[in-house]
Amino acid sequence: MPTRAEDIMKGFKLNWMNLRDADNGKILWQSSDDLAVPDLEHEARVPKKILKCKAVSREINFSSKEAMEKFRLEQNVLFKGRVLEEWSFEFGFVIPGSTNTWQSVIEAAPENQMMPANVLNGNVVIETKFFDGDLLVSTSKVRIFYV
Amino acid sequence: MGLLALLRKLKSSSEKELRILLLGLDNAGKTTLLKKLAEEDVSHITPTQGFNIKTVQAQGFRLNVWDIGGQRKIRPYWKNYFDNTDILLYVIDSTDRKRFEETGMELNELLEEEKLHGVPLVVFANKQDLATAAPASEIAEGLQLQAIRGRQWHIQACSALTAEGVKDGMQHIVTMMAKKK
Repeated sequence: MPTRAEDIMKGFKLNWMNLRDADNGKILWQSSDDLAVPDLEHEARVPKKILKCKAVSREINFSSKEAMEKFRLEQNVLFKGRVLEEWSFEFGFVIPGSTNTWQSVIEAAPENQMMPANVLNGNVVIETKFFDGDLLVSTSKVRIFYV
Repeated sequence: MGLLALLRKLKSSSEKELRILLLGLDNAGKTTLLKKLAEEDVSHITPTQGFNIKTVQAQGFRLNVWDIGGQRKIRPYWKNYFDNTDILLYVIDSTDRKRFEETGMELNELLEEEKLHGVPLVVFANKQDLATAAPASEIAEGLQLQAIRGRQWHIQACSALTAEGVKDGMQHIVTMMAKKK
């Protein structure tokens, strides 16, 4: 008999992610299908102009077969392995058999504090960890290339 | 007014985090309204099979907008999302006269919920761009909004598709939150 934790993990799927210019809602990057493959570092080729956006949104879409009571995520933006930015979000209840999206909008740092694209290129990783209470349900890592 | 602008206007509130809950029957236009608030494309929206959340953060203040699917099989789960709600937005398809009674019953149940006690309400009488839409005044009467006691309420005619009335609705949210303090 699989445990409840196994059921939750097996029934969880990260469907897609995207990045938008939050000023006009335009999608600057959208993941391909392989995002659902766990334990793989994914690559995002994002237009350099994203660094000029006043605000950027990150959107995640996921499905869960099982109900979860204390669902939450932790998202870290890492530069060369060092945390630049930390997010945590409590969803609480997740409906069994549901597909859900979470989008976070952040204002960009002032332009004079922004690192240039060639410095950031390939050195930024968005790491998202999904938990139900203390149970780690899934992890996703996306390395960003500015093109 | 985009979500960041709304956040800035609401920021004077003493709370660190604000929660807006968006409910209504399926096909009322909740997700379209949410996406319109974020200036996003609304041409490929599919029925919500769970929730859509938008979180906006600036200078240590956070605004969370929760859009929960309105299909009959999902409605029993709405109650899981009531905690700490600061404002309730209830969206109605103004052309769906056959379901005015159903939407009225769902709204009444929400208004009786302990956890939503005193929470300000904005009803969005959506789809006003369509010729068959009932006017907001008629919907207000049908829902007997005048009988609401113990909370602020407002009905806003709007079209989430064309954005007409959406800004006005947001302005009411700001005003209500200011009064709530």
